Amino acid sequence: MVVLMRALIALSACLAFVGALPPVQAPEHEPQVQMVDVSAERFTFTPSQIKTTVGTTLRIRLRSDDTTHGFRIVGTGASIEIPKRGDDAATVDFTPEHAGRYEFQCSKLCGAGHAFMRGVIVVKDAAER
Amino acid sequence: MDFHYNNEQFADGRLDFHRFVLLVTHRFSDRIRFVGELEVEHAFVEGLEQSGEVELEQAYVDFLFSRSFNIRAGMLLLPIGIINQRHEPPTYGVERPFFDTFIIPTTWFEAGAGVHGELGGGWRYQAYVAAPLNAAKFNADDGIREGRQKGSEANASRLATTGRLEYVGIRGLTAGASFFVGDSGFEFRPRFDVPVKLFDLDARYSRDRLELRGAFGYISVQNAGELNDSAFRLSGVNPNVASGMLGNYLEAGYRFFSSRRLGEVGAFVRHEVFDTQYRMPAGYLPLNEFNRQAWVVGATYWPDPDIALKVDYVVQRNRSTTLASPNSFNVGLGWWF
Repeated sequence: MVVLMRALIALSACLAFVGALPPVQAPEHEPQVQMVDVSAERFTFTPSQIKTTVGTTLRIRLRSDDTTHGFRIVGTGASIEIPKRGDDAATVDFTPEHAGRYEFQCSKLCGAGHAFMRGVIVVKDAAER
Repeated sequence: MDFHYNNEQFADGRLDFHRFVLLVTHRFSDRIRFVGELEVEHAFVEGLEQSGEVELEQAYVDFLFSRSFNIRAGMLLLPIGIINQRHEPPTYGVERPFFDTFIIPTTWFEAGAGVHGELGGGWRYQAYVAAPLNAAKFNADDGIREGRQKGSEANASRLATTGRLEYVGIRGLTAGASFFVGDSGFEFRPRFDVPVKLFDLDARYSRDRLELRGAFGYISVQNAGELNDSAFRLSGVNPNVASGMLGNYLEAGYRFFSSRRLGEVGAFVRHEVFDTQYRMPAGYLPLNEFNRQAWVVGATYWPDPDIALKVDYVVQRNRSTTLASPNSFNVGLGWWF
């Protein structure tokens, strides 16, 4: 019984201490993450159009159905190699700061129709969505 | 790269380094780029096609304006069917489908220019003007195949038009419709029109271990009777060119073994129809040995997704009562890097 009383007192003291701490502030704009799975195969990305909003972190998970491909968003630093069929997916993050259309393309020569492997990320302002 | 062993009925087996392909690209900027493809066929070039060929299959510059509108000019692969623009070796079948030899004359490349782009919703298009076919080279067996000018000092007095509309909006599915229209009678004197129209429908689907593909094609050659008469006067041989040629095929493949360490093994079956004497001009009879069908069964082992060890057996039949089409056993090693 004494042990139980002591435990209750200790628990009350801990709760009182925690209650006295200043509340933890949540960040005002917690970055949103949007996951997108994209498959790559000669000579198509599917989907080839991705929609998102300004400030959202686009986490693109890329998997190949055949050979090694590349994924590069034109005019940005986002670029990654997509391993061959059967290997793990490659993941690249892209957080657009401005609305607009960002084209992406295969950046590793993958065959006779390599030049057709393209797509677009359409970024709108959050208010427009 | 494609290395083959072909053992055809009624003939000796042959070892052939069929294709050695070099692809080069250069990006002048994010908006302008060059693509080139140089191919050596049958390993040795002596000046005649039977001994080998060096082919400049692609050498074009792309001007990328937007997703929906881009301009391409130079040596182009015509946008017809599945194989012509997508012929990397690590796939099923030692040789390309007969359909893609006798109906669609792959690899079909010509000097030309045009536009391409994506329309949204998974639709994309290509449309080009290019050098036409030369009808003086058509024949009963190969159809229009020998009429390709291959961008080599090609007669361009009347340009041909070609295009393709394609749907890729569902993962793993590519479905398309293609056409080619051109006047091909420029070599005959007196000159007369030989309009050639080719229409193709095709689709392929792959998901996980399953791969399906199929195609249908029809070729119309107008004034084929006059063409045959003129060719006979020129060479003394009547080519018996048809006014209609037809082909189709269906193929199904399944990868029944898959291991990260050992690779994958798949089997396939394909049925083909390829009739280069389907419709004859008035006064001409079809040569039935060129009304052909084939069953192709085989397997492919991929130790790596870019390397394929292929084996298949081809059973060919035709409508002739006197001339048999040969069956064949084929082994191939294809790789890409």
